Amino acid sequence: MRQRRFRWVSALVVLGIVAAACGDDDDDGAADGGDEAEEPADDGDFEALAFDESAQCGTEAYAGNLAAIEAVDELTVRFTLCNPDVALPSKVAFSALGIFSEEQLEEAASGSPVDAPIGTGPYQLEAWERGSQIVLTANEDYWGDAPSIPTVVFRWSEESAQRLVELQAGDVDGIDNVGTEDFATVEGDSNLQLIEREPLNVFYLGFNVDKPPFDNETLRQAIGYAIDKDRIVENFYPEGSIAADQFLPPGIPQYQDGAESFTYDPDRARELLAEAGYPDGVDLGVLSYRATVRGYLPQPPQVASDIRDQLAQVGITVALDEQEEGAFIDNANTGALSFYMLGWGADFPDATNFWDFHFGSGASPQFGTGFEDMHEVLAEAGSTVDEGERGDLYAQANELLMQHAQAIPIAYGGSAVAFDAAVEGAHSSPLSNERFAVMSEEGADQLVWMQNGEPSGLYCADETDGEALRVCEQINESLLGYEVGGTEVEPALAEEWESNEDLTEWTFTLREGVTFHDGGTFDANDVVASYRTQWDAADPRHVGREGLFTYFEALFFGFLNPPPAPAG
Amino acid sequence: MLRFIARRLVSSIPVLFGILLVTFVIARIIPGDPCQAALQERATPEACADFNQRHGLDKPIVSQFGDYVGDVARGDLGDSVQERQSVSQLLVDRLPVTIQLSAAALLIAVVVGVPLGVLAGSRQNSKTDVTTIVGANLGVSIPVFVLGLILQYVFALQLDETPLALPASGQLTAGTIPEPFYEAWGIGQNSFFEFVANFDLLNAVLIWRWDIFVDALQHLILPAVALATIPMAVITRMTRSSLLDVLGLDYVRTARAKGLRERVVVARHALRNSLLPVVTVIGLSLGTLIGGAILTESIFNLTGVGKTLFDAISGRDYFVVQGFTLVVAVGFVLINLITDIIYTFLDPKVRVS
Amino acid sequence: MAIEEIPLAEEQAAEAPPGLRRERGLWRDAFRQTFRKRSAVIGAAILGLLLFIAVFAPLLAPYGEREVLISSEGLRPRTEPCIHLSVNWIPDVPVLSTVESFLESNGFSCPSDQPQHLMGLDGNGRDEFSRVLFGARVSLLAGVGAVSFAVLIGAFIGLISGFMGGRVDNGLMRVMDVMLAFPALLLAIAVVTALGPGLFNGVLAVSLVTIPVYARVTRSRTLSVREQDFVAADRALGVSNARILSHRVLPNSLTPLVVQATLGIATVVLELAALSFVGLTGDPDRAEWGRMLALERNQLFTSPHLVFYPGLMIMLNVLAFNLIGDGLRDALDPRLNK
Repeated sequence: MRQRRFRWVSALVVLGIVAAACGDDDDDGAADGGDEAEEPADDGDFEALAFDESAQCGTEAYAGNLAAIEAVDELTVRFTLCNPDVALPSKVAFSALGIFSEEQLEEAASGSPVDAPIGTGPYQLEAWERGSQIVLTANEDYWGDAPSIPTVVFRWSEESAQRLVELQAGDVDGIDNVGTEDFATVEGDSNLQLIEREPLNVFYLGFNVDKPPFDNETLRQAIGYAIDKDRIVENFYPEGSIAADQFLPPGIPQYQDGAESFTYDPDRARELLAEAGYPDGVDLGVLSYRATVRGYLPQPPQVASDIRDQLAQVGITVALDEQEEGAFIDNANTGALSFYMLGWGADFPDATNFWDFHFGSGASPQFGTGFEDMHEVLAEAGSTVDEGERGDLYAQANELLMQHAQAIPIAYGGSAVAFDAAVEGAHSSPLSNERFAVMSEEGADQLVWMQNGEPSGLYCADETDGEALRVCEQINESLLGYEVGGTEVEPALAEEWESNEDLTEWTFTLREGVTFHDGGTFDANDVVASYRTQWDAADPRHVGREGLFTYFEALFFGFLNPPPAPAG
Repeated sequence: MLRFIARRLVSSIPVLFGILLVTFVIARIIPGDPCQAALQERATPEACADFNQRHGLDKPIVSQFGDYVGDVARGDLGDSVQERQSVSQLLVDRLPVTIQLSAAALLIAVVVGVPLGVLAGSRQNSKTDVTTIVGANLGVSIPVFVLGLILQYVFALQLDETPLALPASGQLTAGTIPEPFYEAWGIGQNSFFEFVANFDLLNAVLIWRWDIFVDALQHLILPAVALATIPMAVITRMTRSSLLDVLGLDYVRTARAKGLRERVVVARHALRNSLLPVVTVIGLSLGTLIGGAILTESIFNLTGVGKTLFDAISGRDYFVVQGFTLVVAVGFVLINLITDIIYTFLDPKVRVS
Repeated sequence: MAIEEIPLAEEQAAEAPPGLRRERGLWRDAFRQTFRKRSAVIGAAILGLLLFIAVFAPLLAPYGEREVLISSEGLRPRTEPCIHLSVNWIPDVPVLSTVESFLESNGFSCPSDQPQHLMGLDGNGRDEFSRVLFGARVSLLAGVGAVSFAVLIGAFIGLISGFMGGRVDNGLMRVMDVMLAFPALLLAIAVVTALGPGLFNGVLAVSLVTIPVYARVTRSRTLSVREQDFVAADRALGVSNARILSHRVLPNSLTPLVVQATLGIATVVLELAALSFVGLTGDPDRAEWGRMLALERNQLFTSPHLVFYPGLMIMLNVLAFNLIGDGLRDALDPRLNK
């Protein structure tokens, strides 16, 4: 379920862009209201963290966009960017950029934040019994509204039936990802409540266009017309799912309304097939997939079987090749698969995350050799600021994808959470960041939440898995946050923020009187240390579980002092 | 006797080395690599080179094997690639879960299986015999995972809020954090104490918490019953045929000839001797129990050896696959050794020859 | 069950040397004994039924193995069973109508204008009943195939090991010991993961891990036969080792092998089902009981028929081989004959 959490960043960036764009019109050029930063705080003891080094923007050694981050005074932090970034507020709201206490980070080399993060959030970590449960207890000194339920327990099971049984038996109070067939069961049970979640992903059929017979464009188009997307969505996807009409799901801002796409037309498919040189049908070998359930593909084997059947009806024969998960990803990344089922969940809500990753000039050989015209359009769209122009370029990309048909988007998969009916304030979030602090249940002293899997680590700067991020979000907070159940950016550890006119310098004013779970006081140095730890690859504290800091790189495009690329 | 044990021990040495080799090979012949499994869609060559270097996976394979053997000799099983923990720590956490489950399953299997076998064997070819044999075989014929699901359905959902209700999960009630006995006793902490404390039932007794003991027991019953069906049929069958075997021997005939009642013949004369082979079968059952545990644990959401191993194989977590299979295999060899010795001890005939 | 059906006994009768005459009698006797046991008869009956289904599946099944009915009949996947009960040819007997009304009131019946699906539709909208019937083919073939392969290899290893003795014996048996040290299912999972998922690889894997059992059985038998007088006589007459192995040792090792193999099929079927459960047997279109069940396991509460029927079939299959195996063992072990 790694994918799902990527939505976190997603919608945020979008809204941030909107917010910032609006702010731009203001005379003072500030993205959001707010006076000049306050004068340095009363406490004369504050010693701002200082770094000798700063990033050399635009040089070969540094590809990133962050030029500097500094503590102006105890409660003011300033970001300097190499290039304008309207989306910065929504980025700094993302949970991978959560703030840790400087003291704890000092011990990061021994790995403590990975297992026992200390934050400022409404809940603090009580115990993580590996393989069994994570127990959080309410933070009595929380700066915001105190959480109503004293204890939150995280549990996990991969099987949707298992989750539902435990919910029905009353062993847990809320579950993630209700099984496709279980929507009706939950809805029909007066003790339970079902809350749907909007899709931010895409499921597609992919081809390696270098491998015959898939080097034949007309053949690929024929397959596009042979697939009845509605039949797939109706029969194998949960409510709230949508048949895809382009590569971007509707939640992404550059989604084009009414884009032209492959529609089910078996006659046209047969015509194209004949035109491609196969008037009597064709055997395409195998359709590869993995049986891993994802938000974009809730029932992999069933969908694969149905696609096989649909293709058979226009005279295309394929056998199904179910691969073991590890091997499948390996094969897909190296371009070894000719014809396969795969999907993508948003990391952040911008078209580049979908388009460029798959079809840009730097994409993996997953689809074989890329197409020049597509590369050009995507490169231009990625560097265009004007939303209207950008939209036109992505409309062109849609047309090119339909022409080249190296991927056929099939569906945007919806999902849902279910809660005991007694839980008030239960909600789902499009970013999968359900917040338990706003939930309450009369007389309950704990709320048990069951999700798909166990987090790998709880230092979320170095996690990408939604299962980990959801836990982190209860414990650590970022400078900004997202509204409950939505994607709008709102103040969190920073109360106010503003930017200069060209959006390269951003100043955040921090909330006063916030304390960490260990009693330490939160100040600007904690923010600088938290960012610096992620940013500077040479920093001794730049160690997490894997040390990859994937999201920081995705959001700021590069690290300070990156390690030399490994030879070979 | 001592010579026999010594010989068995010596002959185990090549087996242990073979096990080392096999565990290493098993981990490496699996296509795909830990990096791809860990980073999924985002596994780029650069990220993977970095990843492999950090985990020592960029060395030549032969030197990796050398490292492995050396490390094992020093008692170091390496670190998990996917989880930030040493394999030894994982074993300390998860071995008790599986041992407790298997022991409970074995207990149920013996308590039910042996009497059934005796019942069937003492009335060969009667209706009781047929019913018992068909019944026992029926038990082993249901795939563990089907049985597990059905048990959950019946006891957790249908019987919910009745006295017979049992929880669907094998874990303790959410939010229960039993205090480890070593903390309660204030005797410091070490891996062995941790290992012991991870036996929920045992720990509950040691800290004298009846409520936790009951909770642990309730959560143990369904998984143990599901798992017990596998060895139960084998034990029933073995008891039965072994009893029949003994009942055909001269001394039993003599006993019968003396006019003793059949029940006395069976109970006093035949039973003790016929249980000898059953001991061996119980030892051998442990292997199938661990196999069955892979499924039982995932159905009942228990993180024990089976689940960890399966996840490690899909996650290409070489060191966990190696370490866990090694421990399981060595444990199996030891158990067989011990049952052999017990058997020798109990059966004078074997001792003499 | 007529004895004539056992070709083994007949073939051997043709030119059976004196040493084997007893053996033939043993087999004949064994089968008579076996099927005098009621439990074995039950097993044989079930197996017979499964064999019948397997052979005639295309005739018995109302729909094709892979025939998708979503578009043709407008039904949704996982539609509940629809059984036409109000059929004219059912005689109007009180008992039957009671059953009928019970079934009707429990939602098993449906009006005759709807297409009949005895076991409902599967997750892809295919007729579950037809797939269950076709599944008999795969399950029987896979079980028998896996065990035959293991017996072949295992018996070969056991013969060589037992007959040659010394270092060869020691080496081979240590290898077998190593294999036996791993839980079979675990080893099978590792092997299939390495070879790539698929039914063939799955069968191969469960077959490989069971080889040591047959090797051991054959070896111990070989060891005792080797010391028999008629083998010594053969040796004295200059009969080749190969001939001794194939004409003396092998036939005499068959008894325990057959018993072990019959019981082994049951184990193999269960292990294959387990591999299916963890998603390692490939093509989901193939009607294979373990896979059918595993695919729908999360629907146990919403569409129980999709878990129940394949589960029942696996159970019957395993049960049949276990009962027959037990019966054979009882019959072939002279000490157990009262």
